[in-house]
Amino acid sequence: MSDEVILQVKDLKTYFTVDEGIVKAVDGVSFDLHRGETLGIVGESGSGKSVTNLSIINLISTPPGKIVGGEVLFHGKDLLKMSQNEIREIRGNKISMIFQDPMTSLNPFLRISTQMIETIMLHQKIDKKAAKEKAIEMLKLAGIPAPEKRIDQYPHQFSGGMRQRVMIAMALSCNPEILIADEPTSALDVTIQAQILELMRELTRKLGTAVILITHSLGVVAGMCDTICVMYAGRIVERGRTEQIFESPRHPYTQGLIHSVPRLDQETKDRLYSIPGQPPNVIDLPDCCPFYPRCEKAMDICRKKYPPVTSFEHNQSASCWLYAKETQNV
Amino acid sequence: MRKILFALFALLAVAGLSAQEFTMVNGAEPTSLDPHAVEGVPEHRIYTALFEGLTINDPRTNRALPAVAESWSFSKDYKTCTFKLRRGTTWSDGVEITADTVVQSWLRKMDPKNAFQYADLPAMYIAGAQEYLDGKAGPESVKIRAVDKYTFEVQLVGPIPFFADMVSHYAFAIVPLHAIEKYGTDWVKPDKMVSNGPFVLSEWKPQEKIVVVKNNKYWDAKNVVLKKITFIANDDINVGYNLYKSGAADWTEAVPLELMDEAKLRKDFHVAPQYGTYYYIFNVTRKPLDDARVRKALAMSINKNDIVNKVTRGGQIAANGFVPPSTGYTPAKGYGYDPATARKLLAEAGYPDGKGFPTLSILYNTSSSHKSIAEFIQAQWKENLGISVNLLNQEWGTYLDTRSQSHNFDIARAGWIGDYLDPSTFLDMFVTGGTQNDGLYSNKTYDELLQKSRETSGNERYQLLMEAEKVLIDQDMAILPLYYYVTQNLIDTDKWDGWYPNPLNVHPWKFIRPKK
Amino acid sequence: MARYFIRRALSVIPTLFIVITLSFFLIRLAPGGPFARERDVPEAILQNLLKRYHMDEPLFKQYLRYMGDILRWDFGPSYRYRDLTVNEIIDHGLPVSMSLGVISLALAVVGGIAVGIISALNQNKWQDYVAVSVAVIGISVPLFVMGPVLQLVFGMRLKILPIGQWVSTHGLKAIILPAVTLAFPYFAYIARLSRASILEVLRSDYIRTARAKGLKESAVVWKHVLKGALLPVVTYLGPAFSGIVVGSIVIESVFLVPGIGRPFVQSALNRDYTLIMAEVVVYSLILIIANLVVDIIYGLLDPRISYK
Ligand SMILES: Nc1ncnc2c1ncn2[C@@H]1O[C@H](COP(=O)(O)OP(=O)(O)OP(=O)(O)O)[C@@H](O)[C@H]1O
Ligand code: SF4
Ligand SMILES: [Mg+2]
Repeated sequence: MSDEVILQVKDLKTYFTVDEGIVKAVDGVSFDLHRGETLGIVGESGSGKSVTNLSIINLISTPPGKIVGGEVLFHGKDLLKMSQNEIREIRGNKISMIFQDPMTSLNPFLRISTQMIETIMLHQKIDKKAAKEKAIEMLKLAGIPAPEKRIDQYPHQFSGGMRQRVMIAMALSCNPEILIADEPTSALDVTIQAQILELMRELTRKLGTAVILITHSLGVVAGMCDTICVMYAGRIVERGRTEQIFESPRHPYTQGLIHSVPRLDQETKDRLYSIPGQPPNVIDLPDCCPFYPRCEKAMDICRKKYPPVTSFEHNQSASCWLYAKETQNV
Repeated sequence: MRKILFALFALLAVAGLSAQEFTMVNGAEPTSLDPHAVEGVPEHRIYTALFEGLTINDPRTNRALPAVAESWSFSKDYKTCTFKLRRGTTWSDGVEITADTVVQSWLRKMDPKNAFQYADLPAMYIAGAQEYLDGKAGPESVKIRAVDKYTFEVQLVGPIPFFADMVSHYAFAIVPLHAIEKYGTDWVKPDKMVSNGPFVLSEWKPQEKIVVVKNNKYWDAKNVVLKKITFIANDDINVGYNLYKSGAADWTEAVPLELMDEAKLRKDFHVAPQYGTYYYIFNVTRKPLDDARVRKALAMSINKNDIVNKVTRGGQIAANGFVPPSTGYTPAKGYGYDPATARKLLAEAGYPDGKGFPTLSILYNTSSSHKSIAEFIQAQWKENLGISVNLLNQEWGTYLDTRSQSHNFDIARAGWIGDYLDPSTFLDMFVTGGTQNDGLYSNKTYDELLQKSRETSGNERYQLLMEAEKVLIDQDMAILPLYYYVTQNLIDTDKWDGWYPNPLNVHPWKFIRPKK
Repeated sequence: MARYFIRRALSVIPTLFIVITLSFFLIRLAPGGPFARERDVPEAILQNLLKRYHMDEPLFKQYLRYMGDILRWDFGPSYRYRDLTVNEIIDHGLPVSMSLGVISLALAVVGGIAVGIISALNQNKWQDYVAVSVAVIGISVPLFVMGPVLQLVFGMRLKILPIGQWVSTHGLKAIILPAVTLAFPYFAYIARLSRASILEVLRSDYIRTARAKGLKESAVVWKHVLKGALLPVVTYLGPAFSGIVVGSIVIESVFLVPGIGRPFVQSALNRDYTLIMAEVVVYSLILIIANLVVDIIYGLLDPRISYK
């Protein structure tokens, strides 16, 4: 992993206006991504993972959403301040995305060739024939058998796993610097999940692509990621190198997550642990630690003020009153 | 200056030209242009532009005017009528019309093989014709003949002093047999049709329009001013009315009932008495309608003035008698609005205050005005007699079947417009077994009076007919007259000359011209 | 695919056969007949009329005769319009009705989709509000009200369009009001339908993918949104065309259009058996063919459907 930071997210805030009030889906998220790094973003459903990543390439639809603050610096240039034309040059080219559901993420009415070629031609300024060759090559890399034939077929003629391979081939076809994969395997069969993750890892290593991998499951990130950010209610509550997070999770939420990962090396006598309670409603959240209703270690202060960030060794950090200097002084 | 003058001149010429073109909203697409197949008003209007019989109708009085015949005379007993044909009258292709053309034309109309509607009309009056029509005798039995090239003679079944008026009717049309022979049924198509009226057919676009242009071979062509007439086919009276109002048409008949009040305020809206009656038929074979007292009670409990003033609102005239009045003929008095007497009569018939009176129904064909009238009468009977009736509406075909074939009705709406100006066109309907006697009325005295009328003429005949109507209405109240129709026409008579309201609503085109 | 359509086309034959047979007998069940008049036709004439049209024969024989004629596409003489054969009436009216129908459908589809796109892309802006209100009017105002209102405004007040009649009298201008009136409810419905389905497609995952690939918004709409969004519109084409065909019967009277709709009404009222039959056959054929065409278009648009 190089120490060159290619993407810097600073205090990103994305809110949605809905009838009930303002949803603070992402509320002050910051992280850095290095060249070739694989960063995992983990969190429960609704914690703001997808919104964070859509905000990075400025794809939040307004209304109802709006990026209300922060910066997303790509090689030092703020993507959020770019014109539509400029950011389109980045999308699919320098930063590309793969989505959760391969069954719905490909246009069912267009041939695979059409969908792949249009991206390649758009960004690489090559003619149709060359673009098609490139597309076939990418499909081959992605492990699609007989790509010359398959490329002229429609999505419905592919299985789910195959489609996700197509998505990966398409996303990597312009050799992006960053691949954002938003739960790329959660809609797939368990056996296929592993294959897809393996394919992603192999291809991105080969091409030197940095990856932001979004997932519910710590199990997935464990094998894939260099670094992990844990999100809860629109904020990153803990971050650190993967080994560190698994070895010494600091935040009670991270601890709960790790506790709930099924482990092959332990006999599970009891039922699998799961964090009690529901993720909070992020509408009109008061100033507090949003985890306190579910936290076994909650203190008085936790419901009065959002905890500050505490840093630990090896660049690990967490937002929890348990470690804040203020509480320790009291 | 010369240029301006020229432009002015051209403008005048154009204005003059367009004033010689006439457009009318003619109603439904004509069912046929063959004069012998004509049976409706729209067809009739086209017929009068294209063809002339021995006589045509006077535009004011509807009496006979010379046409193909330049004069006529009757034998003393009024049983033979002789027409003198105008020499040199030709078809539009130049072929001459002679007495033999008339003979052959009338035979064609009555030829049973041709099965023309209205063939029974001439057959009813011409001696020997009924036998021919019924297929019991050959054409030689029909007592019509060409005395010489220009003299045509008819022997009648009795004294018929109005026969010359009658032959203006399309049932007595003269047709170009030479063209019919040549083209068969296609002879009526624009490029083939030959006619003898003031106009000839130039264009026929089915369901859209028929255009006729001046016939230069017409015997009186020098007195025909219009150069072109367009008949627009239309089956929605609203659009017809709008076409007229917007200036796209010069004449239309029908005014939507909802717009009647607006139309009545217009200077160019002409309402005039028509030779026709709107009435209800009683099915006299059904109880309690077989009792004349009940029929009279029903008649006397309707305020007919309210019907014409509040319901139809188009200037119609409340009618107590059945035959519309005409010179020398006074209709039966009938019974006016008199609810008290009506209640008495109903009580006498065994239904005091309407108690025990069965629920009858009024049958009418689907139309908003028939419906409004029936609703009004329903309310009047309820109020004045305390009886309830149902309303039963049927679409045209079903209604006709119920009314005239199965006779499966209590009271049915009907209307009749005379084919020619003679009371017999109304009274003939109700003889025992008559084809239009849908209420199955039968009265010997009535039948005898009508039979006798056929054997007499003049004043004596009118007395017999008036007598008969008294039996039909005053004595038996076999049918319930409601009002006399009026003709309703929208035409600007400040702009057009030669158009006059008249009882048959027949307007020969040769007289119509722009006002100077 | 070709085989599928040949099979579909052949399946029209039994359908038509059933339609013709049923109609033949059903219309003769209606009370009255073609020669019923207020003034009864004298018996002698009636007998001759019946003979002339073979109505004196046993019904089944008439049926066989009719089926024989129809195989030669000979609809026989009209009972009401003595001067014309039924074939002539249809030949005159069908091109008029078809052009009115096709133009109306085109107006409804092109206009409806265009407005649908505009309002979907401007959701909750003024363009959208205008389009939605127009659609509500179009869907709720019946033809026989819309027609006269347009006549009043454009024909009588502004005097820029003819109130009635057809191309031979007024040129192409004559088509505008009837076509617009006829198209309006379907235009409105298609606008609403395409707006809704475009909005739905815009929210779909594959559109997010297209945007994430860096495509321009216009390319996203034209290449990725429309094809999928228009499928519900295509499905609606069948009912829309039937509706337009039926509506044209009303519209033809209101605007004096010389199509086959007006003779259809007249033939039904007057029990013109031969003409009713021909109209039924022609209308059935139009509807059957229209549905076949819709199927073809649908198949071409949606690759997930395969015809075997
Ligand atoms: N278009 C939108 N309108 C309103 N609220 C939205 C919208 N998109 C997202 N949100 C809200 O933002 C919050 C974060 O959503 P997000 O999709 O980022 O969650 P996530 O972490 O990706 O969850 P999941 O694991 O289910 O994908 C949620 O509460 C969601 O309801
Ligand atoms: S801040 Fe308090 S409530 Fe929140 S995680 Fe830490 S201990 Fe629990
Ligand atoms: Mg998500």
